[in-house]
Amino acid sequence: MKSSAKTAASVLPYLWAAIFIVFVWQMAVVFTQAHVALLPPPLLTAKTFAEMVINGQLFVHAGASLGRVVSAWLLSAAIAIPLGLAMGRWRRFEHLVDPVVELFRPISPLAWIPLAILWFGIGETGKIFIIFIATFFPILLNTVSGVKGVDPVLIRAGQVLGCDNDRALFRKVILPAAMPTIVVGLRISFGTGWAAIIAAELVAAQVGLGYLIADGMEVLRSDLVLVGMVAIGILGVLIDAVFRTINDRFSWGT
Amino acid sequence: MPDKTTQNRGTKGISISELAVTFQSEDSEPVEALRPTSLEFEPGEFIALVGPSGCGKSTLLNVLAGFIKPSSGQALVGGETITKPDIDHGMVFQDYALFPWLNVIDNVAFGLERQGMGLEERHAKALEYLDMVGLKEFADKRVTELSGGMKQRVAIARVFATDPSIILMDEPFGALDALTRRFLQHQLLEIWQRNRKTVVFVTHSVQEAVYLASRVIVMTARPGRVKLDQKIDLPHPRDFSSEEFRRLEKVIYDQLDEELAKSFKLEGGGGTFHD
Repeated sequence: MKSSAKTAASVLPYLWAAIFIVFVWQMAVVFTQAHVALLPPPLLTAKTFAEMVINGQLFVHAGASLGRVVSAWLLSAAIAIPLGLAMGRWRRFEHLVDPVVELFRPISPLAWIPLAILWFGIGETGKIFIIFIATFFPILLNTVSGVKGVDPVLIRAGQVLGCDNDRALFRKVILPAAMPTIVVGLRISFGTGWAAIIAAELVAAQVGLGYLIADGMEVLRSDLVLVGMVAIGILGVLIDAVFRTINDRFSWGT
Repeated sequence: MPDKTTQNRGTKGISISELAVTFQSEDSEPVEALRPTSLEFEPGEFIALVGPSGCGKSTLLNVLAGFIKPSSGQALVGGETITKPDIDHGMVFQDYALFPWLNVIDNVAFGLERQGMGLEERHAKALEYLDMVGLKEFADKRVTELSGGMKQRVAIARVFATDPSIILMDEPFGALDALTRRFLQHQLLEIWQRNRKTVVFVTHSVQEAVYLASRVIVMTARPGRVKLDQKIDLPHPRDFSSEEFRRLEKVIYDQLDEELAKSFKLEGGGGTFHD
């Protein structure tokens, strides 16, 4: 009872937002009398959306995109978390690595597309590489700040309670203490990776929400473009909601 | 069930000889925190270290814990030089230092797990020690749900559970209100009487020192060295208002006031304190 009321309370603002967007959208269609290829009305888009749900096409595209983001994101986490732990713990190592990180960080994942195609061709690897770039830095930076933010007295407590080597100290104290911040980084990076999926799939993809959008533009089916955009928005919110629940489980700090 | 006290590994003495600590920082003059100091603590003694802020009592404690390396001299526990933090040298911190991601029982069991004890055994032992501090019912609570006094009782259970040879306490009751403080002092004494460990207890409170300790050591203003080494032979439980208690308090206060006057002068407070 309580939890369903809570769910309703968190879903309601999104419902209002959706109604508002549809309303503005419909108004724009009515007042500009735009051609259907330029701005299809919400109803037509909803129809296409429903068709693609029924024939399963949308799930194929969304599944492909999700698969790419998840694998790139996991790869990022596997590299960025250990690197961030080391950077946060050993100042000298951080001084060495941090300038490299800072030089790469401002470069948008989009800028990597040409090289990604040259290096990895037009297969899956290049796409995953683009999303990897997009997801890497939020995880790294949050892990570093998480480790640096560990209360030194907890490290001392760990040491006098038998964590007599770095490995034990990492596993039993530093990692769990930094976990809430790391989870925040994982959540943010999934968002940036999800946003980068279009860029990654604009080039020579056969399937995926980004492909759906690019292909829709090519065949002048703006309703397909909008279906792709709507799907990305909805999935983004849903995934973020999942992460929030996970976040809450780790937010022992407050 | 075997008797708790017979399972204990017992306790060790601490031998401090010509121990000095000077902090070297890159951009300022080196700071002499502790002048060469020699002290012998017998096994099972309850030592209270008092002195003005910055007198080096916490520095001394941190050397004993293995967090700071001495600049010269050495500190031995049971004849062995202290080189690094060790589970055999337990510590209780002023701000509790409980692990917030673990519940109460797993905080107490943390050290036991590091000692290689299995889950069931360490939970049974943790419960036993939680019972000792009267918090058995809180075993499954998150530590963030506890009050400051309860947190420190968990920390005390945690340190005694691992059965260390010595226990270092860094102003453990400093952040607590007066009533909670009295209760915890009483509880700590009870536990200490059942588990005779060498305790080194840093405090700002003279009354607390005289109430708890078998020996009070007054340290001078920075750089610290021993000003007074006072045995307290009163039987427990001690009466705050007894004549002998007050006499001992005064002996310590007199020594401390001299040092306070000095340290206020050092800070440029001048004049207001009699010498």
